[in-house]
Amino acid sequence: MLVFDQVNYHYRREHPIIQDVSFEVQEGEFVAIVGGNGSGKSTLAKLINGLLLPRKGQVRLNQLNTLQHVDLKKIREQVGLVFQNPEDQFITTTVLDEVVFGLENLRIPREEMMPRVEGALQAVRMEDYLDAMPHQLSGGEKQRVAIAAILAMRPSILVFDEATSMLDPQERKDILEVMRTLHQSGLTIIHITHHMDEILSADRVLLLSNGSIRFDGTPSALFNSVSLTDQLVPPFAVRLHQTLGLDVPLGSDWKETITNLWSMH
Amino acid sequence: MVYALKDVSVSMNGREVLQSLSCTLQEGKWISVIGHNGAGKSTFAKLIKGLIPSFSGEYTYNQQPLPRDSKGNMRVVPQIGYVFQNPEQQIFETTVYKELAFAQKIKKGHTGDTKAEIESVMHQMGLSSDLLDASPYQLSGGQKRRVAIASVLIADPELLILDEPTAGLDPLSRIALLEEIRAWQRTKNRTVIFISHQMEDVAEYSDEVMIFNRGRLLVQMSANDLFLQHTAFMEQAGLPLPEPVQLLKLIEELSGRIIEPVSCREEDIMQQVRSVWQARGIQHDG
Repeated sequence: MLVFDQVNYHYRREHPIIQDVSFEVQEGEFVAIVGGNGSGKSTLAKLINGLLLPRKGQVRLNQLNTLQHVDLKKIREQVGLVFQNPEDQFITTTVLDEVVFGLENLRIPREEMMPRVEGALQAVRMEDYLDAMPHQLSGGEKQRVAIAAILAMRPSILVFDEATSMLDPQERKDILEVMRTLHQSGLTIIHITHHMDEILSADRVLLLSNGSIRFDGTPSALFNSVSLTDQLVPPFAVRLHQTLGLDVPLGSDWKETITNLWSMH
Repeated sequence: MVYALKDVSVSMNGREVLQSLSCTLQEGKWISVIGHNGAGKSTFAKLIKGLIPSFSGEYTYNQQPLPRDSKGNMRVVPQIGYVFQNPEQQIFETTVYKELAFAQKIKKGHTGDTKAEIESVMHQMGLSSDLLDASPYQLSGGQKRRVAIASVLIADPELLILDEPTAGLDPLSRIALLEEIRAWQRTKNRTVIFISHQMEDVAEYSDEVMIFNRGRLLVQMSANDLFLQHTAFMEQAGLPLPEPVQLLKLIEELSGRIIEPVSCREEDIMQQVRSVWQARGIQHDG
């Protein structure tokens, strides 16, 4: 379980970035985090694995505390971070080396490495690209290699920090599919995004505004919350529900909802 | 003001990245450029701006060939503005004012009424004059992006190229930015070349759409014709239809009727869909 307990963070004292943020994420949950540019989302991601440390309050992961220096290594093994530009993370010349690199740092024995590498690349459907050069892949493929490199280290939480924002629509779909599969296999997923359609796959959404949590609940409840309409642009599925006055739960596939309603009448 | 390409091909490292491209870019149009990563969109944009020194075929401005240097290489076209991806990464001055004043000096080479021009371009991009003395590092991502675009607009370009200008912006900042660019484009009757992956934005804002596919211009036509009549081109390029258009198709299929909205914009499609939906008498009591 991940716990944010009254967390505060600032770079300069007069500009607080994160203010008194408290929440818990249970093991196996899929949580989306949304909020405007500058609302503190990326800072929050970096607080999760101790890249940044709280000025006040605590971030705990399964009894480990990011403020305890001895815990940091274990926390970073458990939390995988996927960024917007996967290229920033690449340091080797083949996909295979890229995935192996993290394992070497963890001093994983040789014989254990290959099964882990293959498993990780299979999970993101990149197993046929072992010898490819990371820099020559498409944006979506690069992002999948970055995910595989992290998966091979067997984290318990994956944090995606706007990992889909530079991708084209098809690549975005592919990455979202990978996220859903990983979630089903039991991983905890934290997905920071500007794409409102992507949060419909999440169990729960946190809305961050000026460094504080303005909302914590299900995606449908978020878009039904009238007091937040000035903060949000609802995704197409929600706009469709509103335009047609649909009084049915928001499904993950609006086409199915429309087809079902049509055929029932 | 008309820019035209005739049978232009561009090779890089022995590979043809653009093949026999012919097109006309008319004044006052919002022209969106779509296609997968690697289809030739950015090469096309660089070509228009004169950033590709040598190519085969003709590039003309008002029927006149554009100037070349003594070696016959294409020159940068000064009256075209180019906003690159993540333009805020190029901001380097210590205040917003200095950044814009620098852009003004190098692009216009004059020292006229500097302050008034800077304030006017800030206003166009929805930035308050209070920010003039701010450090760019104090600004939000959306504000920084606007300052970067303002530094291109200050040269008052005839044609503005925007390469995925909204990538990484939150939805509210995205819509605000697109509205500001449209207001600038309409009031000044300028041409916009808008490279985007967001089909919903393309359907909402474009007069024309150009689809690139594997280094070729597949088609250039009005957004309404493309999204309401000729969606096969989108399929051919493997591109998704904007969600409102997908809805339109679904309702047409379910009702067996042809629905004819006045445009491909979401509001116009939704209006038609709502009336068909209501005519079906679907109850919403759960």
